[in-house]
Amino acid sequence: MASLVPCPNCGRRPKEEFTIKGAALSRPGADADSENWFDYVYLRDNPRGAYEEYWHHTSGCRRWLVVMRDTLTHEVAACRDATDGSRSERRK
Amino acid sequence: MSEFRPTLRPALGSKQPVASATFGLSTLPEGTIIHVLARPGEQDVAHLLASLNGSDPHALRPVSPDQWFIVRDAAMPNQEMKGLFAALEPRASGVDQSHGRVRIRIEGKMAQRALSKGTALDLDSSAFPVGQSAVTLIGHIAAHITRVSSDAFEIIVLRGFAESLWDDLTRMGLEFS
Repeated sequence: MASLVPCPNCGRRPKEEFTIKGAALSRPGADADSENWFDYVYLRDNPRGAYEEYWHHTSGCRRWLVVMRDTLTHEVAACRDATDGSRSERRK
Repeated sequence: MSEFRPTLRPALGSKQPVASATFGLSTLPEGTIIHVLARPGEQDVAHLLASLNGSDPHALRPVSPDQWFIVRDAAMPNQEMKGLFAALEPRASGVDQSHGRVRIRIEGKMAQRALSKGTALDLDSSAFPVGQSAVTLIGHIAAHITRVSSDAFEIIVLRGFAESLWDDLTRMGLEFS
């Protein structure tokens, strides 16, 4: 596994401190058709290589992060706070 | 009405402190711990907290982005705490955690070595200088660590985990005591 995760708030921390939610996908609009929602909720590509996931730093800063890792080599390419992305993702 | 009456007693009241030349473990008074959470988008709440807190070193400890612990040895009277919470609003909110979390002090030349057995945090003074705080795992228990001097740390842990963590820390320090 990607055993050391560079948390943007805490620095490098072992994976044991984190909880993985799953792929970081863009959420369809509320009025999107059922096919889009079915795809978003159930269908995953399981790629060999670069993958973006939501990780929660449960035993650290307790922030949701987006970790970009390689599913083959387990190298972590980037890690950012989930709120640093689009404004729509930001918790109000 | 039930005969049962809960009594408030220190979480680590039954534990004997460890004191040797190179390793010491002691409980700290269950005084005041206030968890402060800033509203999203608020800037410079740390300055506001510092001005409210006076000059007491290590009284204000960062927890995570926009969150802090205010720590005092003495219990804070209800009125004073209400006043503090009112002063924080509307930019931040305070939550009284005084009975929810327990403080442990670990000190001595070998304290860093002993603590390193349980956490992956880099405790070297270049990476973790005096005054620095971090939330991390010690074994399987989440804890908040602050370096209060070159060879002393304070650990804040949830009350229910305090005894278990104390036993772990004692075991980690056995070879030094």
